Formats: sequence, structure tokens, C-alpha cells
Amino acid sequence: MSESPSATALVEAILLVSERPVSLEGLASAADLSRAEVRDALGKLGEKYSRERSGIVLRNVAGGYQLATNRACAGAVERFRKEARPAPLSGAAYEVLSCVLYLGPMTRGAISAARGVNSDAVVRSLIERDLLAEVGTDRESPGSPALLDVTEGFFIAAGTNSRDDFPPLETLVKPEELDRVRERVEQSRRPSPVPEEES
Amino acid sequence: MTNQQGRPLHDFNVELEVYSGPYEWLLALLLNEEIEIFEVPLREIVGLYLDSRSMERENYLERDTDFAGSAAALILLKSRMLSPVFEAEDHQDEETELSPGQLVEKLTLYLKVKRGAEKLRECFVENSGMYPSAHTLPPRPGKLRVESKKVSLAVRRAFSRLVEPSVSHLGPITVSIQDLVAVIQDSLSRGPLSYEELVRDMDRLHSALAFAAAVSLSSRGEVSLSQPEPFGPLTLLPEK
Repeated sequence: MSESPSATALVEAILLVSERPVSLEGLASAADLSRAEVRDALGKLGEKYSRERSGIVLRNVAGGYQLATNRACAGAVERFRKEARPAPLSGAAYEVLSCVLYLGPMTRGAISAARGVNSDAVVRSLIERDLLAEVGTDRESPGSPALLDVTEGFFIAAGTNSRDDFPPLETLVKPEELDRVRERVEQSRRPSPVPEEES
Repeated sequence: MTNQQGRPLHDFNVELEVYSGPYEWLLALLLNEEIEIFEVPLREIVGLYLDSRSMERENYLERDTDFAGSAAALILLKSRMLSPVFEAEDHQDEETELSPGQLVEKLTLYLKVKRGAEKLRECFVENSGMYPSAHTLPPRPGKLRVESKKVSLAVRRAFSRLVEPSVSHLGPITVSIQDLVAVIQDSLSRGPLSYEELVRDMDRLHSALAFAAAVSLSSRGEVSLSQPEPFGPLTLLPEK
């Protein structure tokens, strides 16, 4: 390599040593490049580290860029590192994450209220897995409970940049499904038959 | 005659203003709420135990362990009784029954959240097994930050009694889950069973118990529950 490395080489080196995604601004500042140069370098790296050709891929997640191993090579990487892939999340865990993603930041009580069941244990395990974090307190509520929000780790795990990458909550359910819910509630509110008296 | 060898504290007697006799009986009376825990001076009991304690005894370690365990339970019980009743956040709205409109709103929100969860699962599965290039650096040593507000809230939670949910709206229960398990097993011998069919002539309480019976059978692996969509028809299928 010549004495002055190319913009692509500089960006590649920074991404290699960073565990967390690095923003465009972070890359420009560290490599002493303009944003346009960084964008150009990222374009070249994207071609070099494509999913089809390389064991390493360039990801655009959590508002930044990250070099990571190709998913297709996961088995070999896990065997080499002698570690299993983290256990998949439970259905309840995805529901809690969905609550916080779409309705958050929110308190543990609000999560439980939205799901209709106590979710404290699930929240605890998601905090341990760095998918949820306490980001403040709800000063309006008695006892000022902690407010929870999704973390950078969540966006990395979901392969997304921000909340904007998810479909809006309103589009997730079809109108006919909502009609069915209304219908069932009405049915359940009709007086139930009187049970026969025991002789 | 009872076997006193297995109870290391059987010979420990206490002399208090409110009670005089075996310590074990005092515990029983406290648990049966025949003596108020407020009236029992725990400090005196500990003093009496320490006076009676002797390392010459064969089972002194067992005795100490038993006493420490029971004394800790008494301290917890007393502190809970002395603490004000703490209403958990999620108990706030339990007393008020939801109107049909509110129920629809709540179920609709839950359905959306559930669908959001399904999308999330897809995203997570699609992006699993991608390991970052750099190793995780160990966290830098820093000062532990203790927030007094959080500590006091945690203490309140630990030492407070939770409000018992009201069951006044429930009528007398005239059927057991075992009865309904038998009904379900009998119906399943004729093939798959619709939950709606099963509870058609039942009131709300019986329907709830029938659901509990179905879940119980499912957890025992005798029945599988099929519900293609949230709030949709529920079918009970016999396990092969």
C-alpha cells in the first residue's frame, strides 16, 4: 500500500476495529475525510463485502455502519468460537419489544397493561440481553417509575437503522380483523345463558 | 408422641409479656394470626435465644440455622405489616370494569402489538448469526451510582403488602377443573372439539374454568390447542 492510504482503506480499517456501528460523521471525523468521500468509500466497501461474495458483510444498522460476518458463515464462526448462538427470544419477549418500539418509551406498568399480563420478568431478561434499557423516569406517575426504550443493540439485532424502518402500527392489522375483534367483544357482552339450577 | 429429634428448637421456650411457652407454638400462633405480630418484641426473642444458646449442644448449628431462618421470617412479616399498603402500577385499573368500547380499544392495540411482534421475529431471525468484526471490550471500571429514589422504591416494594384482588364478583364455584378435564377428555374421544361448542351453555365462570382445564391438559401433553389467529376460534385436538 502506498504511504497515503485511500479513503476506502481508512474507512475499512476503522470499521474493522469498531464493535459498534459507526456513523457517517464518526467515520468522516476519524478518517479526516469529507462526508462525500466517506459515502463513496462505503459504496466501494458495500460492493467488496457483498453477501453473495464475501464472508464479511457491510451492514447499515442503528444509524451507522458495521462490518460483521456473513450470516451464511455463522455455523463455522460459532464452531470456531466454541459458542452457541444466543437462544431465540420467546413470543412474550417479541411482544414486549413491539410494545416499546411502537408505544415507547414506556414504564413496566404500561407494558403489562398493554399486554394484559405482568411482563416484569420478560423486561428483565430483555435488559440483560441489551435490547431494552432504562432511559429516564416518568415523573407524572407515583413513584416515578423508570421509562424503558429499545437500545442500539435492538436495532442491530433487527438489522434496522431506526424506528422509521418499521411499518407503522396502524398498517399491521387489516380492517376486517378489527371488525372481527369488535364482533367478538359484542358477542361476549351478550347475556350468557342462565345455568340450570342443581336439583 | 411426636418426634422431637427432628426439630432442633423444640426445647426453646420464651417468656414475653404477650406469650409464655414454646417458641414453635408462638410461630404457629403468629401464622394463624391468633397473636398480633405488632405485639411481639422480636428483639427480646433474639436476646432470649442468645441467652439459651450453648455450643456444647450436639445440634447447635442446626438450632442456630433454624432460629435464624424463623427470626428472619418474623422480621420480614413484621416489617411488611408495618409498611403502608403499596399499590402496584398494574393494579390501578383492576377495580373498574372496561366498557365494550374500551375493551375493543385494548384488544385492538394488543392485536397490533402482536402483529408488530411477528414482524420483529422475522427481522431478528433474518439478522441472526452476524457477528461484528471487533471484539467486545471489557467495561471500564467506574463508580457505582446509587440512586436513592430507586433504592427507596425497591425497599417499599420488598417490604410492602400488595393489595389482594377483589373476588366479590365471583359466585360460588360449583365445579372443579378435574370435572371439566373429564368432560373434555370424554368429548375428545369423539374427535377435535371446538372451545366455543364446549362452553356454549356455560356461564362465564364455567367457561373460564373450562379454559383452565384445556390449558392444563395441553401442558400435560394430552391435548393440543389450535388458534390460527388471535381471538379466533379455538380448537382442542387430541394428542396422538
